[in-house]
Amino acid sequence: MSAEEPTSRRFKENVREAMADQSLQKALRAAGGGFVAKRSAAAGAVPEFEAIRDAGRDLKNHVLGHLDLYLAEYEGKVTAAGGHVHWAETAEDMRRIVLDICRKAGARTVNKGKTMISEEAGINGFLEDNGITPVETDLGEYIIQLRHEHPSHIIAPAIHVPAEEVETLFREKHTHLPADRNLDDLSTLLSEARTILRKKYFEAEVGITGANMLIAETGQSVIVTNEGNGDLSQSLPKVHIVLASLEKIVPTLEDAATVLRLLARSATGQEMSVYTTFSSGPRRAEDPDGPEEYHVVLLDNGRTEMVGTEFQEMLRCIRCGACMNHCPVYQAVGGHAYGWVYPGPMGAVLTPSLIGVEEGGLLPNASTFCGRCEAVCPMRIPLPKMMRHWREREFERNLAPKAARYGIRLWAFFAERPALYRLATRAAMFVLGKLGGKRGRFAKLPLAGGWTDHRDFPAPEGETFMAAWAKAEKTKAAR
Amino acid sequence: MSARDRILGRLAARLQTGEDRAAAVSARLAGRRPETPRPSQSRTEGAAMVDQFCAKAKAADATVTRIASLDELPSALAAELRNRNLGPSIRIGADPALSGLDWAGIEVSHGTGRIEEPATLSVAPYALAETGTLAFRSGPDNPVTLTFLGETHFAVVRAADIRPGFEELFAAHRASGADPRTLNFVTGPSRSADIGQKLQLGAHGPVALHIFVVD
Repeated sequence: MSAEEPTSRRFKENVREAMADQSLQKALRAAGGGFVAKRSAAAGAVPEFEAIRDAGRDLKNHVLGHLDLYLAEYEGKVTAAGGHVHWAETAEDMRRIVLDICRKAGARTVNKGKTMISEEAGINGFLEDNGITPVETDLGEYIIQLRHEHPSHIIAPAIHVPAEEVETLFREKHTHLPADRNLDDLSTLLSEARTILRKKYFEAEVGITGANMLIAETGQSVIVTNEGNGDLSQSLPKVHIVLASLEKIVPTLEDAATVLRLLARSATGQEMSVYTTFSSGPRRAEDPDGPEEYHVVLLDNGRTEMVGTEFQEMLRCIRCGACMNHCPVYQAVGGHAYGWVYPGPMGAVLTPSLIGVEEGGLLPNASTFCGRCEAVCPMRIPLPKMMRHWREREFERNLAPKAARYGIRLWAFFAERPALYRLATRAAMFVLGKLGGKRGRFAKLPLAGGWTDHRDFPAPEGETFMAAWAKAEKTKAAR
Repeated sequence: MSARDRILGRLAARLQTGEDRAAAVSARLAGRRPETPRPSQSRTEGAAMVDQFCAKAKAADATVTRIASLDELPSALAAELRNRNLGPSIRIGADPALSGLDWAGIEVSHGTGRIEEPATLSVAPYALAETGTLAFRSGPDNPVTLTFLGETHFAVVRAADIRPGFEELFAAHRASGADPRTLNFVTGPSRSADIGQKLQLGAHGPVALHIFVVD
């Protein structure tokens, strides 16, 4: 579990607050749709895109079926290149290993490239508690670190922050700069952050990055960024630490190419992100720059327990964010409402796996089952199906709210008795049809406040589908 | 038992199939894998391949000049520096391709990237026509920090070193025997949309990327 307490249990309250948060709603509206159109154009420009998605799925399935062997192979290659591999069964193990490396390096500040595994393991808070200052260098991560927040999106961490709040924030935090400086346009904000962070790159003793992939053939870790911060974070300090989860392995360079061909197109609609870097070991003997030590910390944190279960397919995820960009629920409430590290459809499946169904069991309900997440997932992860698995488990374990349980029981009673079901629905539709009258909609309806508080409920037209079907069949037969 | 052995043990217990899994893994690592689809844009050849590289690099906000030989590089670079209102100086590594050139009016300094670096120049041993991407190898010839710390990053690549797709580039890389700490793929200048979700060029890396393609 993360050092930060999850709030996924209070998902419903989180959602209510998110819907009422004007600043969040404004930011979500401003961002909305951009990713969708770009992904669609990028995927459409490659005739082979669907076939490459199949290949990506098959590649990850192959890796997951032999994960132990590939991890051992990868470890051997890292060691041969002069690097060190550390194994962390839990988030706590990862925190301890990272702190240990930082202490040995005499670190006072640690620069961070963007890593979600660091969020999962709660690295920042732990380093701070131990007197080491972590500095987030991804611009979005830097903004939310100044706001004492967590990412609300896995690739656009500050997507919930409107631009004018960034100006207020920089004025409040960058007190060494003249108070009357002009920060009117976005480029001045960007260049202010760039100047401040440029200095930090040269100060830190340790740089931490994530990994988009780990290549078994070569022992390389791969990072993909647009800003270049991950590369400055790993090239300038004395020590480079890579934080990665076990399932990031791909067998060969060519397999990495398959993932790269899917990743940026699915994430931002780019053909390639600006920087894709394959790193192995520390700087070579003749090198004038680069880190003197290279460490990889591999995190399990519940993933081995997913292997061989109906949730194994979730481990194909390459963290592109397409599922949340296309999710009507995420688009309405943003990422923080999900209450833990991973939001959106992938988070709704992964969170209960990693922190337990007691904590995260509400999240798989945050879906309309529209299926867009699965339709765009580059790894073809059946997200709705897995959310259904979690709903079943939640129900089996009596974790669902009482009203939902009794409601479903009642519905099941009728559903198992088709004749009774038809009779009851026919009666209900008839009554509602009459009550709806000419207007054809209800502004208020008993027990349906959750719907009618925000919109009218359309009245049924007095007949069920089954009844209409039967009538049509009869007419056909009569002809 | 170590954490490593427990993790690998849990996986092995869950993954046992009775088949020879080790053989499947060795085969894959030896390059035997199922026929894998690739984008048609990764299959260009000859002049069309070079043209596509230039077009894709420009689409990613890089600028490109084609020159007839390496000897033309100093004057082409001097012109670019003037056009961009940059001083006549450049930071480079020890790449032999650059060592014999007559830099004329340009002040050349050698070494790694420093905190303020208005203009740097690196040699790309490969490029990718598939996406308009340059590939650099870290090391004394082209220190990796020059790629990321230059406010304007200049890159030079021979047309003959452009490859149609990743497959050909990786084959060339393996064949070269080079073992750099980093293989850096660069597609355009750095950028970020983290402020208000509006894309801006020049995040932490270069604000501009200019490529000289040597025919």
